[in-house]
Amino acid sequence: MATIQQLSTKHLLGIKYLTPEDIQLIFTTADDFKEVINRPVKKVPSLRDITVANLFFENSTRTRISFELAEKRLSADVVNFSASSSSVKKGETLLDTVNNILSMKVDMVVMRHPAPGAHHFLSQHIDANIINAGDGTHEHPTQALLDAFSMREKLGDLAGKKIAIFGDILHSRVALSNIFCLQKLGAEVMVCGPPTLIPKHIQSLGVIVEHNVREALKWCDVANILRIQLERQDLKYFPSLREYSQYFGINRKLLDELDKQIVIMHPGPINRGVEITSDVADSEHSIILQQVENGVAVRMAVLYLLAAGR
Amino acid sequence: MKLLIRNATITDPNSSHQGEQLDLLIDQGVITRVGTGISVSDADDSWDLKGALLSPGWLDIGAQTGDPGLEHREDLEHAAEAAMAGGYTGVASFPNTQPCVHSKSEVHYILQRTRDFLVDFYPIGAVSQDCAGKEITEMLDMQAAGAVAFSDGKLPVAHAGLLMRALLYAKAFGGVILNHPHETSIIPGGQMHEGVVSTQLGMKGIPALAESLMVQRDIDILAYSESRLHLHNISTTRAVSLIRQAKKEGLQISCSVPALNLFFTEEDLKGFDSMLKVLPPLRTEEDRDALIAGLQDGTIDLITSNHVPLEVEAKQLEFSYAKFGAVGLGTAYAAARTALAGRLDATQLVEKFSIAPRKLLGLPVPVIAEGETANLTAFDPEMNWTLEKKDIRSRSKNSPFIGRELTGRALAVVRGDQSRILVDW
Repeated sequence: MATIQQLSTKHLLGIKYLTPEDIQLIFTTADDFKEVINRPVKKVPSLRDITVANLFFENSTRTRISFELAEKRLSADVVNFSASSSSVKKGETLLDTVNNILSMKVDMVVMRHPAPGAHHFLSQHIDANIINAGDGTHEHPTQALLDAFSMREKLGDLAGKKIAIFGDILHSRVALSNIFCLQKLGAEVMVCGPPTLIPKHIQSLGVIVEHNVREALKWCDVANILRIQLERQDLKYFPSLREYSQYFGINRKLLDELDKQIVIMHPGPINRGVEITSDVADSEHSIILQQVENGVAVRMAVLYLLAAGR
Repeated sequence: MKLLIRNATITDPNSSHQGEQLDLLIDQGVITRVGTGISVSDADDSWDLKGALLSPGWLDIGAQTGDPGLEHREDLEHAAEAAMAGGYTGVASFPNTQPCVHSKSEVHYILQRTRDFLVDFYPIGAVSQDCAGKEITEMLDMQAAGAVAFSDGKLPVAHAGLLMRALLYAKAFGGVILNHPHETSIIPGGQMHEGVVSTQLGMKGIPALAESLMVQRDIDILAYSESRLHLHNISTTRAVSLIRQAKKEGLQISCSVPALNLFFTEEDLKGFDSMLKVLPPLRTEEDRDALIAGLQDGTIDLITSNHVPLEVEAKQLEFSYAKFGAVGLGTAYAAARTALAGRLDATQLVEKFSIAPRKLLGLPVPVIAEGETANLTAFDPEMNWTLEKKDIRSRSKNSPFIGRELTGRALAVVRGDQSRILVDW
């Protein structure tokens, strides 16, 4: 890392607010950090004296651990906060909660929050760098970055590549961030799922809509399979999990019918036997665990670059 | 009390002086002289409007107050101040208070509390007890007490049978029912117009269908009941064309549009500004054009403030947690004037702000002529100004216009023997 380059933005609120150059810079920085975390000594001092607060107003296991590891490997001081153990339940507003934490001199905030735009709202009221770790059904930018980073590792330059996103697009922040990210990198994007789980105006984003899993698999180079977000569905959008897995799930037989090898991805946590069968998730096509590994490197890159802009 | 108003450009299609620049003398609340070069030695006050416009006083339909019960949002004094600041001399207020205006007691309360105000208050009674959409209210009794129309206010009448019975019942006294068309069962929890922007923001949408479904239903119920219906605050292309057709077929139907929906579109929501979280939601550019066309050809009868005062704690929140609504009394005219520049002239706007609302409610329409009671709004359609928080007279400050440049402003209001200068000109 000879010259310190900077992102065009102070916060990572969403992929929509990044330039393609920002994304490339995050990738090349993550390349370096991936090398670092595979060394016997995984820690670098880049974020020494920087305090990061991980504020999770929604449940998370892997994203939170991934961020925490990224922060610790950069030698940041880390505080964790989760809604279940917090004052949120006592009726405190987001702004009050965050301002209280910032009064204790926190430099960066990594936040997951159920309301779309919560980070945007916060960025207008506080001074710390904000990283969006998921805001409702809006964006999950670091997930999209690590997904694209993993695809790039496997396929090289993503320009012209065909990526299909399967499943619950309506309730997915991962889908939206993936769409924005992949398009900025020049890839073609398709979404595939039952019509009730596809936003009506999704085509306005320039994606192809397909309801037939077999056709979508034939089309794509990469299949990114999303989790059925049962917890986010307030209504019945499809009749049963059984029917869903039968008509919209990805199984080995479907892959074997293809005359090519495609890359299988999943942001986790997997509902095995629902959107993806175990023999697909654990197959040689799958890069699900590489995604997790890359998540730490990409998050280190984001933290590092935002801190460098301070 | 004698007030001399000089150099006023009369903007009143019902006046024989329409378009003329004249002086007016108001004595004891009555316009006693209209002419040129009036000079009186004993006038208590004299205003030189320098050619600014003078029209019959404006009246808003559907402003919400918080009085009784939610006075921290808006009591009647603040509502009157806010209305005056926007050039209104009358407000037909919605019944969504605590308790709702659903019996003659609440009607009496509002009338008595506002008896001495410059601004006339005309309570709109609820269609259903507690605006809960179940039991019909004592409309006859409320009407006798002074209620001018009936509506569940911001809450749509979801039950088709209730709306039908209310429409039928109101025929007994020639009453009009107001309904805000919004079918919530389509997508519960919608936050903003369903379209390109809601898709980009990952926000649950309110499709145009949610409005047009109920508009179509209401038109069919109206045709059956042969009564009078006002569709309050529409926002979509489809609603405009359905109502246009219903008018052609001779139904006694009218409708209104909020000034905000003429000014903003969904594009303005890209920054998650919760001040712009309103119902009906801000729609597309195409919808806005259709609304303007509807105003031009008379399909849309009037423009409303859609005044919904809310405390800061209800608005300074994440978008999905913020409540729907914006204050609008102080800015409705300016917003409409700015948005409609070149599309509707000053007289047409006076129709939408003063004459049509009174006709709808069956109230006498003030005329600028000798012998008439003074009920006047002076305004300058060319004045450029920027709304500052301190300009908001409402108790609540939830306006999306703070810091925005607007064209057109009310200068002063006169109602009977009371008058108020609002801004220096």
